[in-house]
Amino acid sequence: MSTLAHTVTRAVVLEAPPQQVWEALTDPDALSEWLAPEVEIEVQEGGEVRCRFDDGEQRRGEVELVEEAERLAFHWWRDGAGPSRVEFVLDAVADGTRLTVIETGIAAPTAPTLLASAWGARLGSLRLVLGRLVLA
Amino acid sequence: MTAPDPTTAAGADVGAVFAALADPTRRHLVEALAAEPGATATGLAAELPISRQAVAKHLKLLDEAGLVSRRRRGREACFELQTHPLAGAVAWIDAVGAEWDESFGRLRAALGRRADA
Repeated sequence: MSTLAHTVTRAVVLEAPPQQVWEALTDPDALSEWLAPEVEIEVQEGGEVRCRFDDGEQRRGEVELVEEAERLAFHWWRDGAGPSRVEFVLDAVADGTRLTVIETGIAAPTAPTLLASAWGARLGSLRLVLGRLVLA
Repeated sequence: MTAPDPTTAAGADVGAVFAALADPTRRHLVEALAAEPGATATGLAAELPISRQAVAKHLKLLDEAGLVSRRRRGREACFELQTHPLAGAVAWIDAVGAEWDESFGRLRAALGRRADA
């Protein structure tokens, strides 16, 4: 079964070793410098996540995966958007660490036919748009 | 920055769009309307192994998600595809991406401060 979902992927190369980036991802004080002004995280599977943003938005979540200095994943609940899954992946590179975030959002079961279906040429852009919305 | 409220992004309820497209029959109807703008429920039902009533029900859901518009033509309503709710869904995705870009910018700066300390 595939899912219909929206997904966002972003990557950045940071001039710091993976261990240091890992601390920035898992230490609440460090997180409050970049993720949200107030962050609480219990770094263990099933651990609680709480964030409060500048505009007062609060997100709560749950840690799903902890692989020291390699991967961290949690689910959180965006206001009005249902749960989404956030996964950070750390890769050691020559200049430091490549940090990738993959956030996968609102999901519903679906058949894997959407991308394969033939759209009219008139709606080529629609196909493009749908392609971005579907994660196999 | 916080991403826009998904229920108002570009005037479309992104959740409703995803829910509407989660069903294979409704996706088939979207495709059929892309190929044949202005089709009627009867015409669409002729191409599918389901009743006209079932098609009408699916069209109603697509209508509620803003994905189709309807107008009267004689005794029957005919339907057109509306793509702007999809643009709203994409705008929401882009906003979430922009949020991560900003966060990573702050992370880079925070790590820089630590290296300097």
